[in-house]
Amino acid sequence: MAFVVGVNLALAFSLLGLIPSLLNKRFELFFTLHWWAVGLIFISGVALLIAYPAKALTNPVFFLKFMALSAGLLITRRLQHSVSGQAANPKPPLGDQRSNRIPTAFVMLVCWVVTIGAGRFLAYTHSVLLASRYF
Amino acid sequence: MEQALLTFSHGTGIFDFMHSPWGWPVAESLHFFGLSLLIGTVGVFDLRMLGLGSGIAYRHLHRLVPIGVLGYLINLVTGTMFLTSAPDQYLYNPAFQTKLGFMLLAGCNVFWFYTTCSTEVRTTSDSLPVSGRAKLIGTVSLLAWCAVIVCGRLITYYRPPYHWCFWC
Repeated sequence: MAFVVGVNLALAFSLLGLIPSLLNKRFELFFTLHWWAVGLIFISGVALLIAYPAKALTNPVFFLKFMALSAGLLITRRLQHSVSGQAANPKPPLGDQRSNRIPTAFVMLVCWVVTIGAGRFLAYTHSVLLASRYF
Repeated sequence: MEQALLTFSHGTGIFDFMHSPWGWPVAESLHFFGLSLLIGTVGVFDLRMLGLGSGIAYRHLHRLVPIGVLGYLINLVTGTMFLTSAPDQYLYNPAFQTKLGFMLLAGCNVFWFYTTCSTEVRTTSDSLPVSGRAKLIGTVSLLAWCAVIVCGRLITYYRPPYHWCFWC
């Protein structure tokens, strides 16, 4: 999770101009590692959900986390596509339009901060804690 | 030592904040955000030194390091808040002790980098690899910070007295 959030924060900082843009084909391997890490998050998340289904599914904070995580990953996917489709598409990609950069970076930061916060607050906001009979 | 830490946290108001309804989760969220900043900046720079993203300038990614330092400082502050609010849960916790060991290793590694090859890395051409020493430093850094994260996660499962520190 730290790696996924970290890479997305690095992308957000590059959109904000703190470092020269990372949105080029050379960053492709980082995207690949990023998606492998997302796979790990998915597997561990499903395992936790199977272990404590009631704790998660009766907690609105879980759904908030899920929405923020999905939104963050969607933005990353669009940024990656905008890089890989640069040669074929004559339109400026998502991260390249000046008017898009700062709002995109801002939304990314908000999504990941909400994901982290909601994830931590899950442990303190549940009202039901029934362990699954599978564990 | 325990009493000194508790006295410090009571005197500074940290104890009251951490034992308020939302104090601990807020501190934990900030702690996780700090480590994400650290991994996303320092980790990405380490991976670049190991050869990922050939063509991305080392000096450009190195500009992320101050943000990583900010993340580390956030972790230092929130970590101190955890330690001083419940010192008995950390001082005798083998996971916490191991975590501190790896943080020390990472710190020494950073010192080694900046005293031996930081200038060489920043001036290396974008498409060329860095020296073997720089790659070793990058590897140690990545492994050390991953170990810090794992040990940090295990702290809650080695809280005294359930899994007491067998070497204490």
